[in-house]
Amino acid sequence: MNGQKTTKEILEEKLVPKERNPLYNPQALKKIEQEFERWKNTVVREQDRQNWSVTPHTILGSEIPRESLYTPLNNPDIDYAQDLGFSGEEPYTRGIHPNMYRGRTFTMRQLFGAGSPEECNQRMKTLLEHGATGTNWALDLATVQMFDSDEPEAKGQVATVGVPIDCVEDMEVICKDIPIDKVSASIVTHYPRNTAIVFPMYLVMAERRGVPWDKLAGSVQNDFIMESVVRSASEYIPPRDDFRIQCDNIEFLRKNVPQWNYVTLNGYNLREWGTSGITEMAVAVANGIEILKEMSRRGHDIDWVAERLAFFWAPANDFFEEVARIRAVRRLWYKIMKFRFEAQKPRSMWMRCHVQTSGVSLTREEPMNNVIRAAYHALAAVLGGAQSLHVDSYDEAYSIPSVEASLLSLRTQQIIEAETQVTQVVDPLGGSFYVEALTNDIEKRILDEVDEIERMGGIVEVVASGWLHHKVSRHIEREQRMIADGEIRIVGRNYYRAPDLKMPDIWVHEYDENIARQMRDKLASLRQRRDNEKASNCLNALKEACQRGDNVMDYTLECARADVTEGEMRRVFTEAFGSWKPPIFR
Amino acid sequence: MAQPESKIKVLLAQFPLETHSRGIITVAGMLKDAGMEVVLIGNELPERIIDTAIQEDVDVVGISTYCGGELALSSDLMHAAEAKGIKDNTAFLLGGIFPPKNIPRLKELGFSGTFLSATKEDIVACIQKAIAEKRR
Repeated sequence: MNGQKTTKEILEEKLVPKERNPLYNPQALKKIEQEFERWKNTVVREQDRQNWSVTPHTILGSEIPRESLYTPLNNPDIDYAQDLGFSGEEPYTRGIHPNMYRGRTFTMRQLFGAGSPEECNQRMKTLLEHGATGTNWALDLATVQMFDSDEPEAKGQVATVGVPIDCVEDMEVICKDIPIDKVSASIVTHYPRNTAIVFPMYLVMAERRGVPWDKLAGSVQNDFIMESVVRSASEYIPPRDDFRIQCDNIEFLRKNVPQWNYVTLNGYNLREWGTSGITEMAVAVANGIEILKEMSRRGHDIDWVAERLAFFWAPANDFFEEVARIRAVRRLWYKIMKFRFEAQKPRSMWMRCHVQTSGVSLTREEPMNNVIRAAYHALAAVLGGAQSLHVDSYDEAYSIPSVEASLLSLRTQQIIEAETQVTQVVDPLGGSFYVEALTNDIEKRILDEVDEIERMGGIVEVVASGWLHHKVSRHIEREQRMIADGEIRIVGRNYYRAPDLKMPDIWVHEYDENIARQMRDKLASLRQRRDNEKASNCLNALKEACQRGDNVMDYTLECARADVTEGEMRRVFTEAFGSWKPPIFR
Repeated sequence: MAQPESKIKVLLAQFPLETHSRGIITVAGMLKDAGMEVVLIGNELPERIIDTAIQEDVDVVGISTYCGGELALSSDLMHAAEAKGIKDNTAFLLGGIFPPKNIPRLKELGFSGTFLSATKEDIVACIQKAIAEKRR
């Protein structure tokens, strides 16, 4: 750490001296303790006493031991005002808004995509007509991996798992007749490079439609962990350069598109790839810390930067753990912003998050069971106080969702919102002996893992060294053994598996070569029509900016204006930075 | 069956744009557990996968696919294997997510095993059977 203090050390220093005002009086606690001992030793059965603490094994679980019953003794020195407080106030444990869902319900943001830009536009309109309150675009693999639809690598992949975007023209088709100044868009550009290339195409589309950029609302992902760790690809750039592009994008968006959430620190995909819920959050938090350090180094005000930072989490099967995790990281992020970065504005201290229910927790066997799983995941997210939600569809293990399955996911959200009444009361599980103890434990564990990462040199270093790749790889292998051994029980798969199990006939999205042909034709025509000299000059300028250290998005924007394609920009980045191979591959 | 059994060597790869690697890492772990030597290379063009299979002198090529296009890409893979003379003495397996109705066509192309979900035992048994047939 070169003599610098870790975040944990800073928080310990600044938080410890505070005087505490415990909720429970010592006499009451003493009495509870005596009664608890009596009860445990006389009423509780011998075998239950011996198995008092059990460690749940679940897919992607954190393996935190659980006691059989929680009492005030699990959190004896709780200080209500300091540890919980009121919603909309520090430490935000109970939620970031005073009225939470009464004021504004969670955004129902179902991911969609696949098919041509024209089909995607139709699907987006259908979801909006059925009450979706935001859009969430899945990009096809070629677009995510930054290849043009006509490159050899894109063979067989165009428009299969999302929509293809090669140039501004595609963006115009996708957004046709959509009120982009009113409907917020989550554009799932996973990687910094991908964001630097595709997002300017959205801006140029808005520009051509005459919509000012300050009217645009939405988010991009822009997470270098996604590009350097979670992704599998044939081409990478060094993590340090990727981290820089992540920060360049943030800087550009902050200056030019003020309502845009410039980064979605993506715990989701890392966890789904294979980590515990603790590592999921520790890595995202460590990346957030590194971003703020870098922005501060570039001379920006912390509050100006931080107010648009957002997170993305994956709630899986362990219900109360999931509720507690969201509460825990919300309190931890507040502490980091307030005491590590000395933020002044409340908004900078908010851990705002989008949540997508866990896909890895779903099964191919008896897929309708997944409806139930996803509904529990979604409920946990809402009880935890998430801002925005996507519910995975039951056919996830077969294909990207059918229209019918994605509508059912939206209905799942609407039932939670309109029928269960869980949104009437803020943080309804706050104060539960169990949930508060779990929240404390999880917060501590996340901070410990952040500390471990910082002691190894910070998030960029643990990515470059391969530490994180290997950690995930070991987790996946171990988890697989636990599923094979039946230690992790999955209903319908390895637990109560039907003896005559048959896989149902489920609609599977299929590759349509016609769309690929249309995209190739469109590109061929674009390359004839556009001013190729201008395109080439813009690409040269981008390369020089990469090497000089200028903000790359100023230059990818000029490329987009000149109708440069995605693949053309990707190649320039790779030429400028050179290539890198993640350490788990040979 | 007379000569002592040598360690089975497996190349695991994905087509160029595939982003899901949990499956292939899981299978790599299973095969190592089963005593096989595993070469995990990540994403490559079909022809490059075959070149690596030749360089590494593997018995088995395993492909993980989740995002579609498996027919077109597998067809390129098998053409390359045939052109470079390793199709007959190498076992090919494919796993992941793809339409079940493509399985007959994938078998015709030359895959000994196609898995939509499988245990370690299923995959190991398939590899052993395929190798025994290839060596016959």
